[in-house]
Amino acid sequence: MIMINQLETPLYESIAAKFEIASLQSGSEALQALRREAFDIFKSTGFPSIREEEWKYTNILPFLKEDYELDVILQELSPEEFSTTAALVAHHLEALQQSLKGEQKGAYRLVTVNGKINAGLSVLPAQEQLQIRSFAGAEQDPSFQKHFGKIATLKDNAFVALNTALYNEGLYIEAPKGCVLDKPLHLVNVLLAGGPAFVQPRHLIVVHPNASLEVIETTISDNEAQPLFVNGVTEIAVGENAHFHHYDIQTGRKGMRFVQRVEATQEKHSNYSNYTFTLPGTDLVRNNLVLHLNAPELESHLYGLYLTAGQQLVDNHTEVHHKQPHGESNQLYKGVLLDNSKAVFNGKIFVYQDAQKTNAFQQSNNILFSEKASVNAKPQLEIFADDVKCSHGTTIGQINKDALFYLQTRGIGEQMAKNMMVNAFAFDVTEKVKIPALRTYLEKLIAAEMEKA
Amino acid sequence: MENSTDFLEEIAGKEYEHGFVTDIEMDILPPGLNEETIHFISKKKNEPEWLLEWRLKAFRAFQKMELPSWQNFKMPEMDFQAISYYAAPKQKVKYESLDQVDPELLETFKKLGIPLSEQKTLAGVAVDAVFDSVSVATTYKEELKKLGIIFCSFGEAVQEHPELVKKYLGTVVPHSDNVFAALNAAVFSDGSFVYIPPGVRSPMELSTYFRINAANTGQFERTLIIADKDAYVSYLEGCTAPMRDEHQLHAAVVEIVALDNAEVKYSTVQNWYPGDKDGKGGVYNFVTKRGICKGANAHISWTQVETGSAITWKYPSVILQGDNSYGEFYSVAVTKGKQIADTGTKMYHLGANTRSRIISKGISAGNGQNSYRGLVQIGAKAANARNFTQCDSMLIGDRCGAHTFPYIESKNNTATLEHEATTSKIGEDQIFYLNARGIDTEKAVELIVNGFAKEVLNKLPMEFAVEAQKLLAISLEGSVG
Repeated sequence: MIMINQLETPLYESIAAKFEIASLQSGSEALQALRREAFDIFKSTGFPSIREEEWKYTNILPFLKEDYELDVILQELSPEEFSTTAALVAHHLEALQQSLKGEQKGAYRLVTVNGKINAGLSVLPAQEQLQIRSFAGAEQDPSFQKHFGKIATLKDNAFVALNTALYNEGLYIEAPKGCVLDKPLHLVNVLLAGGPAFVQPRHLIVVHPNASLEVIETTISDNEAQPLFVNGVTEIAVGENAHFHHYDIQTGRKGMRFVQRVEATQEKHSNYSNYTFTLPGTDLVRNNLVLHLNAPELESHLYGLYLTAGQQLVDNHTEVHHKQPHGESNQLYKGVLLDNSKAVFNGKIFVYQDAQKTNAFQQSNNILFSEKASVNAKPQLEIFADDVKCSHGTTIGQINKDALFYLQTRGIGEQMAKNMMVNAFAFDVTEKVKIPALRTYLEKLIAAEMEKA
Repeated sequence: MENSTDFLEEIAGKEYEHGFVTDIEMDILPPGLNEETIHFISKKKNEPEWLLEWRLKAFRAFQKMELPSWQNFKMPEMDFQAISYYAAPKQKVKYESLDQVDPELLETFKKLGIPLSEQKTLAGVAVDAVFDSVSVATTYKEELKKLGIIFCSFGEAVQEHPELVKKYLGTVVPHSDNVFAALNAAVFSDGSFVYIPPGVRSPMELSTYFRINAANTGQFERTLIIADKDAYVSYLEGCTAPMRDEHQLHAAVVEIVALDNAEVKYSTVQNWYPGDKDGKGGVYNFVTKRGICKGANAHISWTQVETGSAITWKYPSVILQGDNSYGEFYSVAVTKGKQIADTGTKMYHLGANTRSRIISKGISAGNGQNSYRGLVQIGAKAANARNFTQCDSMLIGDRCGAHTFPYIESKNNTATLEHEATTSKIGEDQIFYLNARGIDTEKAVELIVNGFAKEVLNKLPMEFAVEAQKLLAISLEGSVG
């Protein structure tokens, strides 16, 4: 029923049209088949409604009403476009860049404009340290073929299916075997569109055995209040003994809507750590973070901090699949909600029958700052092995009045005292950030937002 | 360890204790469900017109509903036409005293250990026994009557206190609440009715005992408990069924209304036939239980010990409407063999300063699957609402599963909510410690499990707590290995 209604909307028409274009350009047989399969899945599911358990608290349909342009392809930037883009990057990232430049050894910078690597704006490491390519140049690469489209789950997943069917440029980052990148890589996704646009960024990051990589990801767009729907998919493969620290800083402007899926597989003795920071600005952020712990003896850490304001809706869904013994996973998500904002947290831990001696931990804490803010939390455990330790905890509350009073009696003003307490609350997450400069930057961002409130 | 395992497995073969069939002449309606069935039941019960109308309304709602699919187990095939919707011990006259009750029936209750006969007054429990769908005897009625307490079968209440039934029936669980509640509303044949007048504390525990006896019948009883202002009552419910190869459906509805300052404690020890170890037979226990704290300072407390049924699927809930009202939920659910439990609670905080407390202990053994599913919802007007939730799971054996699906929704920034859950294995070191003290493994498991469930068992009235403890021990015999 709903499908039929949906299919009549202009968005569905443009999706179908875009699929025609996308299937013309893509290369190999296998990729063509994958696109077709994905499109069929999307056609059968349609966009999810709140009747679906996974989208119970997040109504996506109001965000899809715009007259989106799906075919946003950018050829080479003209000199003029280049300079405005450069200014945009510089403007948005000044603080972060400065922080990174400061005391630290700095960071490499990789700028993509609508998914296309822009060498002119980037400062890249040597090829032996890190291979950065577009999908077009990587199709024959064995490890690309091994992982692309194999990690992200298509089934029952309209957004991944849509991305897979429609993506037109992807970014492939490969950390070679045994290579330890000396500086973090700052990945800047620049999205430019004249009008309302619906884009499908796609990344594949492969960290080969014994390699170590840190990536800081930010997304910016031109400063018009045009609606921009970003449906991103990032696939990650972390090899044996490899380490990958993945920072995602989600700032943005009004009109931006993010639905993102990060799905990772991990091999023996590896470590994948994800740090997701969501700040006010965007209309909607929905993060789906899924880890497949396919091998024994590994660890994963998921840290999240969301500070929400205005009418913002921030939804974090995590899934950790413990498939083999002796795995350790740790999730900590903290939220501070201002104004009319809404937050959703749904964390799932699956422990399969073979995954004995698993240690899985999950915690989510929320502070509601305003009367109109609301939180929906759903921490879930599904356990099929007996010799495990799993726990989760969730709290929803407000600033501790006694603590606030205490600070005030010491001559600290209410606003400042509140900021201090929010900082202390966020500290559990910010302290996990391994890059000192990045941590300073994040703390400043949080303080600035709190000041505005 | 090996030897004791063998020994325990032997005991595991122990069959369901209450699995006998009572040979009593029954009045059974042939299987099938249509408006005729409802007319028949209503007529049989000599019901007023409005109740028949309500039943028919529910039936029409039921026809439009589909079986849900969100639960954490595979929905068994349900053929509502294959169930007989009315089965009653053949009775010509109403019983005046227990002497007139079919001795065989009394024997059944004796086997079950229900203090039905008044000689067992020492137990101090007033019992309403429901055999298949019909209430057969209510003890202590006279004594309670002196205090103004009404404790009788639902059918009797409809005849004698229609104004009360009409006022409260379906106000907590509407006729179209869910598919099984709608089915119950359409075809319920009896149940218990309790009314505690203002300011009265019930001097004894009120108790209902349910038993499904006839084959191919479903049990659809309906319980309505009303505690008027400042009243107090503690209510107990127990259940058994004979062993049969086919599944039996038990779709009951319990409604509780607590007015200002009233307190209702509802305790269940559920021991329906769980099916054999291969999952053949057993009761589907799909029950809707909900209470409403309608007045200020009202208090409703659910305590449940679930050891039986092939599938237990229920969420005893509390609507905290009155300011300062308080809801509690304490649960121990044991699943073994192929048993499934998907249970938990819902706490709707509507009034200011409302509080709720949820303690859930799940124990899975064998191939058992145990899910906790709970909802804590804080409305915009529930200032200073407070919730504490704890759900712990214990796993015994590597073929079982424990799952938690808590939903926590807060729309008020002055509310404080806490939720915590843990899952772990029964401690080898604890067993070893007890073994070292000369306590055998079986006894050790019993001790550990009882300790694990203590917080909940403590909430049960004394005589029930003892029974529940025994039940836990029996349920888990032979599960270690």
